[in-house]
Amino acid sequence: MIGFYHVYKQYVKESYAIYDINLSIEKGEFYFLTGASGAGKTTLLKLIYKEELPTKGQILIDSVNINLIPRNKLYKLRRKIGIVFQDFKLLYNRTVFENIAIPLLVRGYRKSYIDKMVKNSLSLVGLNHRKNYITSHISGGEQQRVAIARAIAGNPIIIIADEPTGNLDTELSIEILKIFEKINNNGITVLIATHDNNLIKMFSKKTIELKQGKLISSPIKEKQQWIY
Amino acid sequence: MDLLKKSLSNAINNILRNKLINFLCLGIISFTLLTLGIFDYISYNLEIFTHNFSKNIEAIFYFKNDVKEKEIKAQISNIRKSLLIDEVIYKSRDEAKTSFLSQFPELKYILKEFDKSPFPSSIEIKFKQEESNLTTKIISFIEDIERSDIIESKQVNIDWAKKVLYIEKFISITGIILSGILLFVSVFIIYNVIKLNIIYRKEEINILQLVGATDWYIKFPFIIEGALMGLLGGIIAGILLIILIKLIPSYSDFIINILKNIMILKKIPLKILIRLLSFGTVIGLISSLLSLRKFFKK
Repeated sequence: MIGFYHVYKQYVKESYAIYDINLSIEKGEFYFLTGASGAGKTTLLKLIYKEELPTKGQILIDSVNINLIPRNKLYKLRRKIGIVFQDFKLLYNRTVFENIAIPLLVRGYRKSYIDKMVKNSLSLVGLNHRKNYITSHISGGEQQRVAIARAIAGNPIIIIADEPTGNLDTELSIEILKIFEKINNNGITVLIATHDNNLIKMFSKKTIELKQGKLISSPIKEKQQWIY
Repeated sequence: MDLLKKSLSNAINNILRNKLINFLCLGIISFTLLTLGIFDYISYNLEIFTHNFSKNIEAIFYFKNDVKEKEIKAQISNIRKSLLIDEVIYKSRDEAKTSFLSQFPELKYILKEFDKSPFPSSIEIKFKQEESNLTTKIISFIEDIERSDIIESKQVNIDWAKKVLYIEKFISITGIILSGILLFVSVFIIYNVIKLNIIYRKEEINILQLVGATDWYIKFPFIIEGALMGLLGGIIAGILLIILIKLIPSYSDFIINILKNIMILKKIPLKILIRLLSFGTVIGLISSLLSLRKFFKK
């Protein structure tokens, strides 16, 4: 599902944000991506949805080498991946419903289908009662749930979340992670970047640990052989 | 269709959201297109004038005295082959004399001095009226005949049309240069307004890109916005042009006498208004595409 083969990412000379990463995440798995600030977690996630390009190495998503995807076809990759950000990245002048509907609108679905899918997403995150609220008028925890609902609305195969609980208290953080668990139980691969070790311990999921851009530990076999 | 409706709605909202800058932009586009429209209108009127004028063009060519009849017949035959010609009337020397006497019988005594008719033979040419740009072709045709060895002189009511043609050309060229500069300014203005809109909505664009929107899904509303700005500019320019034509002050007799001859049309022709709207829309489209191209290159 997600494969990194000798991936490097360099922003400045002689300094690697990501250094020789090899990993493979299978369909339906749930991983925490952990490490201190600056370890390379965000960079690794950005490489997955091609916000950044690797300096060296190959990345495969759903058996497709994303290095070879031209710019005008990038939308196809992005439709397979639901992304949740620490700062939510919502449109605050729109309603909860409108925010969640965005991935469905860009796919050109009919109104009736959009209504149904948004309703399903709202149910999953427990926000049916906030459907018509302007997003700026709801709490931080609810906003993050809207962001998650938007990420799953388009039926992605992978959900990646970059510090989704970074701005939330412990209780809300647990709530949010439970939602991710529910999503994972539906067969969607989940990869969450976090430096909150308490949460990691609480949820007992597999962990990929980064330190200064290098893979320190992971339950995955390194150095897979790739066929291109 | 849904995308078009939504884009139109977004475009209108965006224009109303940034009122000051968008209205300034509209003002400049309207002024540009108004200038274009004025030159277009004047050129068009001059074209109509010269076209109408060509309906009344007649030319009389007088042959030299020593020209043989065979040569005259050959010349007439050549002239008749031209598609511009409606009618060629030949008047021999004797016919010219008879015509003179019928008009001025009291001057009969003058002709008693002459054995032969003192009047040269001539041909009177009437031109067809159907073709456009007829005057230019006619002028060229007349000049060709005049160069013939057997022609002594001509009598043509075409000098005035020549002057009008020069004025028409001058106005056209001035209009094109001035309009070119103003069009460039308009493109530049819309380019920057759209750029500002893109920056203002950068967050939204980023989200759309992250959820898998195609480039065209993101670009389309901005393109519509640019085209709408251009179209609105064209509409305003059209309305102003109509008002301006109705309000031209008549304080100068000399200018007005000329204008009265040239400005045959009271109403603005629909094609000038359509040209204004089309130019406006195209300016808007081009500017938006240029602005978006730079943004999406990254």
